[in-house]
Amino acid sequence: MTDIQKTIVVTGVGVVSPYGIGLACLQAGMLAGKCCLAPAKDVYPGFAGTTAPVEACVLLPDEGSISRYSRTDRLAVVAARNAVADFDCESSAFRESGVVMASTVAGLTEIDAGIVPDPAAWYRRGGLSRATSYPVAHVADAVGEHLGVRGPRCAVSVACASGAMAIALGANLLLDGAAPMIFPGGSDALCPFTLSGFNSLQALDPSPCRPFDQNRKGLNLGEGSAVLVLETLAGATARNANVLAVLRGWAMTNDAFHPTAPQKEGNGLAECMRLAMEMAEAGSDEIGYVNAHGTGTPLNDIAEANAYETAFRGRSRPVPVSSTKSYFGHCLGAAGALEAAITIIAVRCGALFPTLRLTEPIESPGVDWLRGEVRRQPLPLAMSVSAGFGGSNTALIFGSARS
Amino acid sequence: MTPNSPDLPITITGIGSVSPYGPLAGLIPQCPVESSAITAWTTAGLRRAFLVKPFRPASVVPGAKTRRLDRLSAWALVASSLAIQDAGIDLSQIDRSRVAVVFATAFGCVELTEAFYQSAATNGWSGTDPITFPETLANAPASHVSLFHDLRGPNLTVSSKGFAGESALIQAASLLRHGQADLAVVIAGDTLTRAVYEWYEAADLLSPACYNSEPLPEGCDFMPSEGVAALVLEPLGRCEIRSEARSYAHFRSGRWAAGGQPVEIIRQMLGGSVPSLTVCTGNGAPCASSPTAALAREIVGHAAAIVPPHAVAAGLVNTGALLHLILALSERPSSGQTLLLGSSGDSGFAALLLELP
Repeated sequence: MTDIQKTIVVTGVGVVSPYGIGLACLQAGMLAGKCCLAPAKDVYPGFAGTTAPVEACVLLPDEGSISRYSRTDRLAVVAARNAVADFDCESSAFRESGVVMASTVAGLTEIDAGIVPDPAAWYRRGGLSRATSYPVAHVADAVGEHLGVRGPRCAVSVACASGAMAIALGANLLLDGAAPMIFPGGSDALCPFTLSGFNSLQALDPSPCRPFDQNRKGLNLGEGSAVLVLETLAGATARNANVLAVLRGWAMTNDAFHPTAPQKEGNGLAECMRLAMEMAEAGSDEIGYVNAHGTGTPLNDIAEANAYETAFRGRSRPVPVSSTKSYFGHCLGAAGALEAAITIIAVRCGALFPTLRLTEPIESPGVDWLRGEVRRQPLPLAMSVSAGFGGSNTALIFGSARS
Repeated sequence: MTPNSPDLPITITGIGSVSPYGPLAGLIPQCPVESSAITAWTTAGLRRAFLVKPFRPASVVPGAKTRRLDRLSAWALVASSLAIQDAGIDLSQIDRSRVAVVFATAFGCVELTEAFYQSAATNGWSGTDPITFPETLANAPASHVSLFHDLRGPNLTVSSKGFAGESALIQAASLLRHGQADLAVVIAGDTLTRAVYEWYEAADLLSPACYNSEPLPEGCDFMPSEGVAALVLEPLGRCEIRSEARSYAHFRSGRWAAGGQPVEIIRQMLGGSVPSLTVCTGNGAPCASSPTAALAREIVGHAAAIVPPHAVAAGLVNTGALLHLILALSERPSSGQTLLLGSSGDSGFAALLLELP
């Protein structure tokens, strides 16, 4: 393989976020420092937390031709459509494309506790088609069906690292020659199941979250979807595509430490970042910005800070880091994909987004905690980091298309 | 840039399974397995399926603590341990940061998902069980495998309608070929619960044999199944230096797609060769006249042997490929090229090319 066949580029990004539809919408909202987190409404009786829903003004399709779409499916389909808005969807390259979609919630949005005592009766009451969207694979099918593509379809579910891992696996599939283009992304919708679950773990901050702050109290949940278009530079050049960014490196590791808690020293995450930099052939000084996982939970953020200290040890100046979950919460399986989209914005605009509400950062001398105003500077390389329950870590490194 | 060795020879060196045949390391001894009457929940009459008989995981894998785990997690832990043992791998002697776990499931930890809904039904959403919630995540089984064995390489949980097992195998091989891991444990399976079984029933997919005590007839009848199968994949050069290592099959290549022209694509993958054996992986349709068998005949012609889908593995629907392969290796020891082939009208196709030593 030549370099041009091994170089993976991003030629499309579609987004549905609490800011609306599209990368430009996300970029404008974040550059304005707008926080979408607000007191939750109508989640379930007794819930008094903060969330960032995608507003009803964002129109989502009701269903596909084969089966009913869950809310997660619908978010994914809108993001995917947005990603390929300027594409020739009749070309053979497009038709042979593959889909790798991440989700953790998937069709749980369509199921309620009424299924438990008598599933058969629940199915007779209309639950049969709703339950069809339960498997996580249905999200990939919904996107593939909606776009009319017939390459490999795969779903990824590795908790909160899912969205980033979908991008990494999509890149692997491209290198394998499995399809001319891959649409990797993530989608997750707010639903009582996950809100209740994180609430039971006492992981939620009832107020807007404060990632990396010494007074952080937990996370807020959000929802949304992001879908990228990945292809080789050879493929993109052949069809004269607009290259938005280069996916320079990716890596996946596991902590093998605890089912839910990260390893405090952050060794697995640090190793993941090191491997991604190795693939990108980038020294630690070359990474101009890290979009952190940064959930705002006490355990995650300290482990992550320790991981940055290890991964960027020897760097000549502290590494700039922020958590953009402070803008619209933690979108679970979509988070890694949305944060990849934000990292691409950062690279394209030379904009380093601050963490909102960060007043007393964790003491970490190797980290330059971004806060206050958006910092403007040329950004040849930036990294997006994701971690999740079960110890999964993923790091992605994006480079400027100009490089 | 990622190292890329598309021709890296990859071989299957270990097999483990927890299936209606029981928890087993290596091949599955040839013996008929009967379906069982469902007793785990109250049914409207006789309801049958291919079920895994209860066993104590710690009796198979010493030290395994599975009390709080979903059965899927427990079985994944047991099957992967048996596969590693079967491969003769001493994990203390290898770099565990270079071992990947790739897990395929259709429904994930559905037992504890139902239990979590039950806690919501009983106590309201404000009173759900914090112990259960993390174990409902689809990647819980794979993470327990990593945690138990201290495997720190990539840890993936994937799904794909109809072809989750095939997808997991292909992606595990991809990790090895791109130098992202030196060894991969591939696991695929699902559990049967009341909600899953009654969904099949409500969708009118069950064989009449699910409702009576007659054997499952030869034909395209579907009887749900449960279980987990695991394989150890490693580069051939790596296992050759272990004196006790065996190779069940070499993994050559694989393709899967949601549509397109399967005959053309698979023939292109075969590169002009004709496999001597084709194992059909059913998507709930274990019969010689299935669309998969017809596709196989079109690709390999009439001279080659075609094994129709096995009912027990076909009952796993999306995740049966690994069990299909293990059963085929167990029942039809042969040599030469083998094609593991699955297809369905609405999900596309998957094809894995293997070489049996």
